[in-house]
Amino acid sequence: MLRYIIFAPFAGAMINWLIGRRVRNEGVIGMVACGSVGISTIIAFYLAFKSDGALRSTQPIMDHLWTWIQVGSFRADFGLAMDRLSGIYALFITFVGFLIHVFATGYMHGDGGYYRFFAYLNLFMFAMLTLVLGDNFLLMFVGWEGVGLCSYLLIGYYLDKDEAAPAAKKAFIANRVGDWGFVLGIMLVFFLTSAKGVASISFFDKPALGVTSALASIAAMPIDGFTWHAIFAGGITSVAVLLFIGATGKSAQIPLFVWLPDAMAGPTPVSALIHAATMVTAGVYMLARCSAIFTHAPTAMFIVAIIGAATALFAATIGLAQNDIKKVLAYSTISQLGYMFLACGVGAFIAAIFHVMTHAFFKAQLFLGSGSVIHGMHHEQDMRRMGGLRKYMPITWITMVCGWLAICGVPIWAGFFSKDEILWRVWSAGAYGLPPGATKALWFVGAVTALLTAIYMTRLMGMTFWGGERFRETDHHHGEQHHDVAHEPHESPLSMTIPLIVLAVLSTVGGLVGVPYAISSLAGGHPENYFEETLAPVISSVPNAASEGKAVKPHWLSPPPQEIDGKPAVAPVGEAPGSATSHETPSPQEINEERLLALVSVLIALTGIGIGWFVFQKQPLLKMPRLLEQKYYIDEIYDATIIQPIKVGSSEGLWKIFDLGVIDGILHTIGNGVVRAGRTVRYMQIGFVRGYAAIILAGALIIIGYFAYSGASVLRLLVK
Amino acid sequence: MQNYLLTILILLPVIGAATGVAYSFTPGAKESHHRWIALGFTTLAFLLSLLLLKGSGGGINAFRIEENYPWIAAVGARYHVGVDGISLWLVILTTLLMPISVLSSWTAITKRQPTYYALMLLLESAMIGVFVSLDLLLFYLFFEASLVPMFFLIGVWGGERRIYAAVKFFIYTAVGSLLMLVGIIALYFIHQNATGVGTFDYAVLTETLRSGAMALSPRAEFWLFLAFAFAFCIKVPLWPLHTWLHDAHTEAPTAGSVILAGVLLKMGTYGLLRFNFGLFPNASRYFAPLMITLAVIGIIYGALVAMVQPDVKRLVAYSSVSHMGFVVLGLFSFTEQGMQGALYQMLNHGVSTGALFLFVGMIYERRHTRMISDFGGLVRPMPWFSTFFVIASLSSIGLPFLNGFVGEFLIMLSSWTSFAVQHAWIVTMLAGTGVIWAAVYMLWMLQRVVFGTTTSEANAKLLDLNAREIGLVLPLLLLMLFMGVYPSIFLNRSRASVEAARQVIANPAAGRTINVANASKSEAQR
Repeated sequence: MLRYIIFAPFAGAMINWLIGRRVRNEGVIGMVACGSVGISTIIAFYLAFKSDGALRSTQPIMDHLWTWIQVGSFRADFGLAMDRLSGIYALFITFVGFLIHVFATGYMHGDGGYYRFFAYLNLFMFAMLTLVLGDNFLLMFVGWEGVGLCSYLLIGYYLDKDEAAPAAKKAFIANRVGDWGFVLGIMLVFFLTSAKGVASISFFDKPALGVTSALASIAAMPIDGFTWHAIFAGGITSVAVLLFIGATGKSAQIPLFVWLPDAMAGPTPVSALIHAATMVTAGVYMLARCSAIFTHAPTAMFIVAIIGAATALFAATIGLAQNDIKKVLAYSTISQLGYMFLACGVGAFIAAIFHVMTHAFFKAQLFLGSGSVIHGMHHEQDMRRMGGLRKYMPITWITMVCGWLAICGVPIWAGFFSKDEILWRVWSAGAYGLPPGATKALWFVGAVTALLTAIYMTRLMGMTFWGGERFRETDHHHGEQHHDVAHEPHESPLSMTIPLIVLAVLSTVGGLVGVPYAISSLAGGHPENYFEETLAPVISSVPNAASEGKAVKPHWLSPPPQEIDGKPAVAPVGEAPGSATSHETPSPQEINEERLLALVSVLIALTGIGIGWFVFQKQPLLKMPRLLEQKYYIDEIYDATIIQPIKVGSSEGLWKIFDLGVIDGILHTIGNGVVRAGRTVRYMQIGFVRGYAAIILAGALIIIGYFAYSGASVLRLLVK
Repeated sequence: MQNYLLTILILLPVIGAATGVAYSFTPGAKESHHRWIALGFTTLAFLLSLLLLKGSGGGINAFRIEENYPWIAAVGARYHVGVDGISLWLVILTTLLMPISVLSSWTAITKRQPTYYALMLLLESAMIGVFVSLDLLLFYLFFEASLVPMFFLIGVWGGERRIYAAVKFFIYTAVGSLLMLVGIIALYFIHQNATGVGTFDYAVLTETLRSGAMALSPRAEFWLFLAFAFAFCIKVPLWPLHTWLHDAHTEAPTAGSVILAGVLLKMGTYGLLRFNFGLFPNASRYFAPLMITLAVIGIIYGALVAMVQPDVKRLVAYSSVSHMGFVVLGLFSFTEQGMQGALYQMLNHGVSTGALFLFVGMIYERRHTRMISDFGGLVRPMPWFSTFFVIASLSSIGLPFLNGFVGEFLIMLSSWTSFAVQHAWIVTMLAGTGVIWAAVYMLWMLQRVVFGTTTSEANAKLLDLNAREIGLVLPLLLLMLFMGVYPSIFLNRSRASVEAARQVIANPAAGRTINVANASKSEAQR
């Protein structure tokens, strides 16, 4: 049954591609596209929540289709699996995806490539769900590259936009650089497991097929040391670093983030679906899926945390100074993704996934809201020409307020719980190879980022919905009075506002599934953190030796690891996976600390909103620092230091000098020599074509003669 | 008929060529009918070649459908042909690409059609002969025979610099194969010295080598390996022996490029796998570090130079250097994954690059230019062309679930543990960058040719693909998808033969063993 989740959108894509181009009826095309994703959504919810569903049982739901590649001990299946992690991902991907499909039927109305757009969008759903539900590394990679392809096609969707095709190419190539790391990481997983005699790249045990879980095999290995050398040692740390390189590409982290802002050249629903809610969080999914690998590689974890924190802060500062509404959201996405990696880096994988989910809600909401604004403003994206839109687009305004409060981290909105959870986990992370002060420093970076986030999001809201109505001024600039009526901003149709409302509700209440104990217990009782309880069994936790004073004890799914060389590498946790008792109630002291930090988070959010409000309310067009406006000139630096040298070196050096000059030069010298010899010997003038004939003849004669001679001597030598 | 299938396959195109010649003497013969004759015979050959698959399901260990008769009794040369799991697919690749090539010439070739199609048919015959010959002299005959039709195809029906390209192609490859001839004769005499009977029979030679009845001194093996490898490496082409390739490719007519890339290059890698590995296992191991180094340089070099080409066809030609580098890398890793991957990559490259040349030919036929800068925005006037071209490019890039990925992944997987090289993981990481470069040059080309705004009037008025053109690329596109999603059909049939070839190298039966530092590492992997 699982297979229908991925094949329904695939069928939708094929139908729209082959038939939709003939039908050219928006109603039919939209129905096929939304219907196919709707089917996936229903099946995903059914499989997740039925009595023995993926989220309720500890056993994943498996579906083996066929053996894809099998050579020697290497085996990769086309097999799907839904466990608690992929279940949660599949749920929000299908649901948010469905809403965005519906939104797009309105947003893309009247576009010439309607069928093409929805065919690509459905194909994306197929690839994304394959990525998430694939039961082994290589199938995940299929989805991984598949979403990259769809992203490429959709960024380049607007053929008239000159920046679209280069942006699409840039996205694919940046992703390819990351994928290089991912592929090598997969190979190294294979080698590490085959060295233990259980060659596998599968995430799960599949006893019927004789496949063991590679993750379980690696979980049974000793933990790598916290050294820089471990990165190059070819062990678990190397695997983790290589996989993380893959994640930096897909999830737009330093240094490969440059493609995501450019990707905004695609249609806005694409930005919402692919470049905010789902695809870009694939890197976080991969890290969570491979938590068994990462928790065994403290050096890699450290790198993940540093890169995540740096990206979060870096992108937030750029976001402050952008004027294109979608660019602000793009940098905001990069920044929030940095947050998620920061969480992964300190071992808070569950908090990272929680933030992925809430971010999917509120960022999809914000992007669709911005799409609604762009739609209502007749494809104007520059916030300097907006302002005062709340009067004209009340539904868009109200729903975006929800998204705004959520991303800023105002309590009860979804972003508060997930962001606060991350900050608390970073603050309280044990000394896992890290110097004691490091986690506090990382927390500080996270806190500053939160402040900046609140400021730039308030700026965005202020410039768009409040203040003077600057769109009129621009029209008067053009001096054409009659255009005013046509350019009057208008509210979007129902097909667009309904998804906005649903996402706004989710941005508001979606965080309640993961309220931490410290906060939920304020209301009394002993409530559980549903989200954490659900995911805990499938995520390896960081061995917290220092704070607990106990032996290193990661969780894992199943089975308990084998002993290695007679001594247990890592002892399994006593409780059965998934049982409620595995969750320990934190000490009162910790609870107080957590509550205090939550209060600090709230203050940061409110301060940020206050600053944003008072600064940009008065001066919405305040000139921002040039360095930030120009994005630190990163694109220019890459171009000058990497792209141009390679281009020029290849063209001038390799091709013209080496290929045409050196190699062919040598050959021509030999050839000319032969011709000249031929002329001398024959005392004969030859024409152009016959000259070549002479080359052949003379060359062949000389060669045959030479080899006959040397061949004979070799022969003599050999026979001897 | 099954017993004589290979002979039939070799002779059928020759009969086709003869039919064409005979037809041209009949009164009222029309030049344009010759393409029908060629299409008929090549299609028939393709259908017959599918019979080779009969009974191969469980994998083929030994040579099948063998025929073995005395040929030149005086020197003991025999007509010995047969297929195993390795040659099986290469024969089918050849017969598949031929009708497609004929169809692609349908309107492109207008001058001297009778000769053109006769040469094409003769070429097919020679190529099939190369892949099924089990007698070294017979193999050499076919290997050289394939040169001649191609020389004329380029030299007569080629582009502006066709003469230069044809001569360069001919001399380059002829020099290599003459060396091989010396090697073949040397083997004959060595065998005569050891056993009293001279032979060119591959099966007999390998048998006496394995049994120890004939031993090659290390020095002899060293030189003989070089003589054979030189011929094959020029054909592959392995860096830095590649400079004939882009000239020949660029100047050849479309069908010539398709056959050149699709089949002729495979003769090189096939030769390495069959003859160098089979006859000189110790030297093969000895030379592996050199070959792998050259292969990796070729992967990166070919890609970088492809990136900066102003001419689409030249770009595809240089990309072949990169892709064939992967094949050599896989072969010399001496692991099951690597060699299977290499064989698979040969087929992939034939299909994908063949298709790319067809597409380039289609726009050349319409615009009479191959310069990237002359195109732009083809997606509007030619949506089907653009879709197909993008799919073929993605296959060349190695997108998963298209054919290229399976081969390249298996090759990189194996090169990591290749015991032939120290620090093999560095080799793999470098080779892996080839996959990044592939995305760079293909997508950059697509951006400038297919996407963007339609740049000129001439481009805006281009006609999309007609039924014939769709018909001739569709099989290749479907094959790309099928080979990417379900490679087992191919891999299972070649498994046993590839493993047998690998065993010869991995477990030398007799004679000197070359120090294999990391052999145990590889053993552990299996």
